[in-house]
Amino acid sequence: MRYRFIAVLAAAALMLLPSMAQPSSAQNRRPAAAPAKPTPRWPDGTVRLGPPPGEKGLWQPNGRPILAEPETDPAIKDGQGRGAFSGPPFPGKPKESEVPFQPWARALYEYREANLFEPHTRCKPSGGPRQFITPGGVEFVDMPETKTVYIFDENGPQTFRVIYLDGRPHPKDLFPSYYGHSVGHWEGDTLVVDTVGFNERFWMERQGAPHTDKLHLIERFTRTDSNNMKIEVTIDDPGAYTRPWTTGFFIRWTPNAEAAEYICQDNNQASTMMVGTEESVDRGSRIVP
Amino acid sequence: MRAKVCFVFLLASVVLPGLTFAQEGHPLVGTWSGDWGPTPTHRNQVTIVMNWDGKNITGIINPGPDVIPMKVVTLDSTKWTVHIEADAKDSSGNPVHFVVDGKLDNILSYKRTLAGTWNHGNIKGDFKVTRD
Repeated sequence: MRYRFIAVLAAAALMLLPSMAQPSSAQNRRPAAAPAKPTPRWPDGTVRLGPPPGEKGLWQPNGRPILAEPETDPAIKDGQGRGAFSGPPFPGKPKESEVPFQPWARALYEYREANLFEPHTRCKPSGGPRQFITPGGVEFVDMPETKTVYIFDENGPQTFRVIYLDGRPHPKDLFPSYYGHSVGHWEGDTLVVDTVGFNERFWMERQGAPHTDKLHLIERFTRTDSNNMKIEVTIDDPGAYTRPWTTGFFIRWTPNAEAAEYICQDNNQASTMMVGTEESVDRGSRIVP
Repeated sequence: MRAKVCFVFLLASVVLPGLTFAQEGHPLVGTWSGDWGPTPTHRNQVTIVMNWDGKNITGIINPGPDVIPMKVVTLDSTKWTVHIEADAKDSSGNPVHFVVDGKLDNILSYKRTLAGTWNHGNIKGDFKVTRD
């Protein structure tokens, strides 16, 4: 599949900021979405997660695409690009202090906040909610004939994730992977996706909330109209949290945008982080991982 | 047959140390290798393997025929310090108690380190291991 990127002034900035995936003002200069139309649907009435017939577009972050509201020093976090997207707050999003971290997980979360060293900046795939928190956005590809939904990353290593809607269960003895194994079903107009089988090689969100290979993720995708999608996430990971917790964020439709060929490794300015230490990160050198 | 088994172990010992996998979960999980010893010149190779089941850290020292199970492993995440205790026997069959206290460094790096003091019976020394 070959794409050509059209539209969005953010594109140029994104190509120059390869894998860092930090939001910039350019990413907020998205073309204004047309007034929202009703949620697009397939002939059988099922919600379309991709574009309506004859149209094109991508989903990009909206609001604060983070899992917990910062409390300690939001100015610093915003300055680092975290939560810098403008948009609506997600109702009921927990504050950092309300997240039921295990002690080690909270300490690691706080450590990560002070030491940006995210695998995403090393062109690694980012599973879980982190998949939706890149400036380039994602593309949903509905495949009703095969009962699958693909979610393509536009940043990072340009990988994709598959959601099976054919009623299959999770396999036993899953080999842990970046995106895990996702099965979904529709509850009214909400796609409910259950994912297990994650590995521990990525951050599941930009702020650095840890997870383990025990992570069980339940995502609820609700396209409320043609321009907006609500993603509610329940994180059930007894390896890192004392109980399941629920949060969420929004993504916004960017009309007329198409995916571009984007090779993270080709211009990776942060790849020394793959082999260096926190004290000796050299962001000036290029090393293809 | 024995030769084949030995070859496989030898091959694994050569190949596996070269593989470094990111591990972004519990910071102690993984295989750590390095050395300990009473002086800078008297060193002993050591390998530590630790796991996290969601409630407890478990581990072993020097996997293989002389493996030593860890009896106590605790992480103080407020200081990123680690305390390990283990019981073994020396070559004469006498009990030896290990007490290891270390501090994690470069926590977000694949090659994070754990270093500190390593008391092995009556011998006191230091150690440093790096996550493979």
